[in-house]
Amino acid sequence: MDSPLQSVPLFILGPDWLRVPIMASVVVTWAIMAVLVLGAALLTRRLSQVPSRAQAAAELLVATVDQQIRDVTGAAPAPYRAFVGTLFLFILIANWSSLIPGVTPPTATMETPAALAAIVFLSIIWFGIRGGGVGGFLRGFARPNPVMIPLNILESVTRSFSMFVRLFGNVMSGVFVIAIVGSLAALLVPIPLMALDLLTGAVQAYIFAVLSMVFITSAVEKGKPQTDPKIEET
Amino acid sequence: MTFDFWTLGFQAVNVLVLVWLLHRFFWKPVSAMITTRQATAASMLEEAGVKRSEAEAALAEAANKLAALAAEREAMLATARTDSDATRDTLLSAAQAEVETLRDTAKAARVLAAGTLKANAMDEAQGLALTIAGKLMARLDGPATDAAFLNWLVKGLGALTDVERTALAGVELEVVSAANQDSTAQDRIAKAIADALGASAALTFRSDPALIAGHEIHSAHFSLRNSWRADLDRIAAALAKKGDLSDAG
Repeated sequence: MDSPLQSVPLFILGPDWLRVPIMASVVVTWAIMAVLVLGAALLTRRLSQVPSRAQAAAELLVATVDQQIRDVTGAAPAPYRAFVGTLFLFILIANWSSLIPGVTPPTATMETPAALAAIVFLSIIWFGIRGGGVGGFLRGFARPNPVMIPLNILESVTRSFSMFVRLFGNVMSGVFVIAIVGSLAALLVPIPLMALDLLTGAVQAYIFAVLSMVFITSAVEKGKPQTDPKIEET
Repeated sequence: MTFDFWTLGFQAVNVLVLVWLLHRFFWKPVSAMITTRQATAASMLEEAGVKRSEAEAALAEAANKLAALAAEREAMLATARTDSDATRDTLLSAAQAEVETLRDTAKAARVLAAGTLKANAMDEAQGLALTIAGKLMARLDGPATDAAFLNWLVKGLGALTDVERTALAGVELEVVSAANQDSTAQDRIAKAIADALGASAALTFRSDPALIAGHEIHSAHFSLRNSWRADLDRIAAALAKKGDLSDAG
């Protein structure tokens, strides 16, 4: 059995001096992307006022994501819907792709969760600057007082790193345990573990999306000019 | 443990591209459709509210019209009832008047017919009585009957007061008999009258078979009826008076 911490390229692209390795996680990601985009295109090709079942399900998904964003941020969901919703959908499908025999979920390798965490880290900066400007975003690190600046900077990195580790660890461990059990026991034995892996995958996707939203909201709120509580009381 | 940064970059780009593609093909159109449906539903609700208001107004107007129609109906019924009562009273009064008129007419006709019948019956009875009396008289002794009637004539004169007898003695008296009286009979009658009056009177004699039997004395202001005809007339008058009393009773 290969180590889950070891990525093996499927093929190499480019000249010898460049040698770009294409890992299986990248190919699976492309497949997931193709499925999602084609499915979305087919689904939204014939939207109508009287929805079909598929359209109703899609609208339910959108409405649920919107409601989650409203609950977390208290703001209009439109600016965050595509980003947070896509994170959730991609991670969910990537986690559940372990059900396909022979497919290793992209989230079970370190690069994909790390890429997701990096995107979240950058999106926090992007939404923070967009919400309160560069000055507002940077002043957010000095709250509640400038002494906290190093800790806040460290926290902004570590919380993204923790998201990466959490997602990678949960998915990788699930896949690894199933592989170990499958190699030791009969064919049907890993099925309960796979069902548990489905639940874990959904929960991890939800946690990753919600934490992303929470961190983005925190950055946006910290970037806004704060009112004096004494003035508010009067 | 290996960490491939190419893969990290690929995956980051992949995710960003996926975000853009799904935003383009999924999140945006679906949320737009939701917004459109919400707007449509709000518009329909607003339109339904307007229509409901209009329906309520129309319902209220219909209720008012219904109430007005009911009031008008009641008024018309009351008018019709009053008119019918008046017409009924008028017709009843006319009918009662007509009935009264018919009843009075019938009563008058009945009374007239009864009176006519009664008069006819009385006439017939009187005629029958006269016929019977005449036939009976024909079987009686004429002189004796004359003597009896003369005697009753004298008694009648005797029943008068002295003043009346004196007044009768001074005027011309007509003696009417049922049959012609010869001179002897006239002398006997004159003598009896003179004896009854206490003085001789100027007498003229005339016969009238309608008297059937008897002698009567008439003057300009006096009549002493002493005949069967007079008796029958008195009986008929008495019977007619009795019949009138019976009808009145």
